[in-house]
Amino acid sequence: MSGRTKLGVTCLVVLLLGGMWLVAAPFVVGYQPLDKPWSDAIRNDVITGATLAGISFVALAVYTGDLLRELTRRGKER
Amino acid sequence: MIRRFVGAVGAALGLVAGLWLMLAPVALGTQAAGLDSDWSDPTITEFVSGAVLAVVGLIGLIAFALAIRDEAVRRGLVAGTREVPDPEAGAAPVEPAVRDVAASEDERVADLLTPLVRALAEDLNGPRNGAHQRGGEYR
Repeated sequence: MSGRTKLGVTCLVVLLLGGMWLVAAPFVVGYQPLDKPWSDAIRNDVITGATLAGISFVALAVYTGDLLRELTRRGKER
Repeated sequence: MIRRFVGAVGAALGLVAGLWLMLAPVALGTQAAGLDSDWSDPTITEFVSGAVLAVVGLIGLIAFALAIRDEAVRRGLVAGTREVPDPEAGAAPVEPAVRDVAASEDERVADLLTPLVRALAEDLNGPRNGAHQRGGEYR
């Protein structure tokens, strides 16, 4: 894995953590009580954060799966 | 290369999400537009979070794009200024002279071991082993 790829994967991990934080932040910080209806801003944060976390997770999963597949192929060639 | 492409797409979508977070307070009407209006704390938090995510997404996009280019140069799909070695191939490619020395070394070890292995096989399968199993004397 080259340095550039490592940097890209690190960015994907940061995006995943950022998306998870966007989902959790309104409840952790206390802007949004659980028993009250959500405001538009909170709904936007949660949807955006969940989308971001999902995209990052899928990208990381695809990356890891393809890397493992290539490692398996190289192992069989030897 | 497909995994780098997927990573680049994910980073690009992260960039878009960050930009959307920066624009959302104004776009959704929760924050009045204009430089003279004071921003509320949630607006500032959302703007800063979006900016950070957008920068991270941009860095990831650039990194994956450069990695894709390196891979394309290594495969000969794109003309590059220098040859990029495959970082995931393990050790560096072996020079022909070194490879020849290693091959001759392997052949010499094989030449040394072959009579020994043959003698061991004969010893295990030979008549003396059978005599020993039948209770004969083995010297």
